[in-house]
Amino acid sequence: MNFGYTDEEERFRQELAVFLDKHLTEEIARQNWEDKGVGPEAREFSRKLAAYGFLGMGWPEEYGGKGLPPAYDFILLDELGKRWGAHVPLDVGYTMVGHTILRRGSEAMKKEFLPKIVGGEIEFCLGYTEPNAGSDLAAMMMRAEDKGDHFLISGQKTFNTECHYADYHWLAARTDFSPQGTGYKGVSLFIVDMDAPGVTVRPLWTMSGERTNEVYYDEVKVPRERLVGEKNKGFYYMMEALGSERNQVFVPSRLRPVLNMLLAYAQETRYQDRPLSKDPVVRRQLARAAVELEVAEVVADHSRWLEALELPMTHQPEMTKVMVSELEQRLVNAGMRILGPYGQLEEGSPWAPLGGRIEWYYLHSFMTTIGAGTSEIGRNVIAQRGLGLPRG
Amino acid sequence: MDFRLTPEQQMLKDSARDFLADHCSSDFVRQMEQDRRGFTSELWAGMAELGWMGLLIPEEYGGIGWGLTELVVMAEEMGRACLPGPFLPTTLGALALAQAGNEAQKQEILPAVVSGEAVLTLAYLEAGCAVYDPLFQAATARKQDGAWLLEGGKLFVPDAEASHWILLCARTSGSLRDQEGISLFLAPRAARGLELRPLKTIAGDKQFEVSLKEVALPPDALVGEAGQGWPLLEQLLMTGALAKCGEMVGGAAKVLEITADYAKERVQFGSPIGRFQAVQHHCANMLMDLESSRFITRKAAWSMGQERPNPMLVAAAKAWVSEAYRRVVSLGHQIGAATAYIVEHDMTLFSRRAKAAELAFGDAAYHYGQVAQRLGL
Ligand SMILES: Cc1cc2nc3c(=O)[nH]c(=O)nc-3n(C[C@H](O)[C@H](O)[C@H](O)COP(=O)(O)OP(=O)(O)OC[C@H]3O[C@@H](n4cnc5c(N)ncnc54)[C@H](O)[C@@H]3O)c2cc1C
Repeated sequence: MNFGYTDEEERFRQELAVFLDKHLTEEIARQNWEDKGVGPEAREFSRKLAAYGFLGMGWPEEYGGKGLPPAYDFILLDELGKRWGAHVPLDVGYTMVGHTILRRGSEAMKKEFLPKIVGGEIEFCLGYTEPNAGSDLAAMMMRAEDKGDHFLISGQKTFNTECHYADYHWLAARTDFSPQGTGYKGVSLFIVDMDAPGVTVRPLWTMSGERTNEVYYDEVKVPRERLVGEKNKGFYYMMEALGSERNQVFVPSRLRPVLNMLLAYAQETRYQDRPLSKDPVVRRQLARAAVELEVAEVVADHSRWLEALELPMTHQPEMTKVMVSELEQRLVNAGMRILGPYGQLEEGSPWAPLGGRIEWYYLHSFMTTIGAGTSEIGRNVIAQRGLGLPRG
Repeated sequence: MDFRLTPEQQMLKDSARDFLADHCSSDFVRQMEQDRRGFTSELWAGMAELGWMGLLIPEEYGGIGWGLTELVVMAEEMGRACLPGPFLPTTLGALALAQAGNEAQKQEILPAVVSGEAVLTLAYLEAGCAVYDPLFQAATARKQDGAWLLEGGKLFVPDAEASHWILLCARTSGSLRDQEGISLFLAPRAARGLELRPLKTIAGDKQFEVSLKEVALPPDALVGEAGQGWPLLEQLLMTGALAKCGEMVGGAAKVLEITADYAKERVQFGSPIGRFQAVQHHCANMLMDLESSRFITRKAAWSMGQERPNPMLVAAAKAWVSEAYRRVVSLGHQIGAATAYIVEHDMTLFSRRAKAAELAFGDAAYHYGQVAQRLGL
């Protein structure tokens, strides 16, 4: 048994830490989809990350990677997370769709996209959810008609988050309209240029101020080369990728800076001649959060380890997702309790503690148990895949 | 025992619901979050016309002279509609004057409150204190040349800018957390040396920091006796806590309505999501939280009007409802999922106000402390 990292991995982590401490400013760290949106600074940072050799560790050499084990990429995510940069700035391509392109894309598609993903040059947005297809993605209705050398796509997506700055839409649409093609059977995946004629993006603003989007397709022509893998296999590819995506996106280390902030606050803030940190209730809340975070980290590590060794993953990544997202809510709730009446003050207000970060996180945390699949669906998956319970 | 409202209470409730349906749509509420003042004169005048601001004011000063049960019943409707503006601060200010003000104060201000001409607020928390603690009174008031001179600051003062009068708590003797030595003063908002700084808050309500630099007030600005303000302040805060509980109950009722409707309507996997037991259990938990909150709030309010009131019930209600309402909005968001997370969705009005209401007049932690004390611990 060994829960540690190799010497080389540790060396990588240290070099990376030095780089990040220098280049990952707060301004850039906050340029991600959850917060201020990706801007030129974050893109520049991504390219720099690649130029210094910190991107693409786990990717094959022929596509610009270094051919190392996935552990290095997890180290990258962990170190970013510890510094408020929970996501690689261009994260959908790097942590999600890139892996499916690698597994299922044609050689030409791999050559076109992977080096740019690994080079921190391009970003994708996920086009799955539709107004009537949320948890039940197989109900999607977006139509992609096969016209031989191209597909003609029409319909609507919603809550597609990075679409206002991404270069490409990773789109799931229905390609089989026959009775046999209902549900998950008739879905295909496409890569669509965001500036293709007929694509319209409209903002949806969320409670915590992040932007997501509605995306409309009006007879958008998508070349056949942009079909990912085989036609009508899209849903299968999406499900196949899910475990790895969970492992890469639900990174517990991103809660470390929140906890650290609260620890410092409790030590520096006094009430009745003693620091809040001496208050038994506050101590217990923070200690509990720390325990939960340790547990979430080892749970996430287990699932990553399965992935690294290419062992079967059933319920484990889902467990990571549910646990990390729910811990996130409990942690910021504890934070709000510790901040007392000051917790309601927003960034930019006089007296806002910790720069208003906890208030923002509190509002943001309502979505963690919804986005990328709800906790209810997550628990269904855990019960059914993890224990073989019958499907409801 | 009778859990029903009296016919008068029912009428009050119905007319409040009708009025708010007409005058306080969720679009209006959103608009008022962006508005500097946070309410309109028309709204306020309409409320005055219905007699709302006179709810707790004795009849001899033009009010209705009702009690806390009625206040709570009204607050439920206000919470349901997310009513913005200074109803509660004004009500508490007026209650302070009705209870402890001198005759001149009462004559001058109470009828003006009833008619909607005077807006009041209560300033008692301070920035130097890291937790909610109304005993923490560092601002001072001292007599000089026949006038009171106030020095210090107050924080989290609702609607200070819109107020004509501010009830200020300051210490006239004793040390920081002593009950003895706390005094209440009635200061015109325009008093010299009294400055306001707006805060930006999660609920978009209008709270202020009030700084007091040698604010000179006449001798008769004192409300009640010098140094004996704590019992009055405590009573105001209990009233405030009860009204907040009422607001939260009303908000929770509306959130559950929105959520249950959605659970019946929204179809996924070929069936309304309300058919899935995970969703049913969430809804059931919301209903348990709602009804328990309503009952404990109303009982606490009723108790305070009895010959032998039980103030522990007020703390119990504020502790319970603060947490229950947070659970209700969390589940509301969970079931409303992505749709309810968009800023235009009404759920976001309730969840942000739930946090503000949880914190107002003491959060659950504070009130657990109060309960422990009342249990003799
Ligand atoms: C901020 C944000 C960003 C997002 N970004 C993207 C994006 O970039 N791309 C994209 O494609 N999507 C995105 N989504 C959409 C997200 O994936 C969906 O919100 C999620 O899958 C849930 O779908 P829904 O919101 O339609 O909820 P619904 O599926 O309508 O669910 C409503 C409620 O019913 C419950 N429920 C549904 N089915 C069952 C069941 N069988 N058993 C028990 N309970 C059930 C759910 O758990 C939930 O509580 C985003 C969402 C948010 C909030």
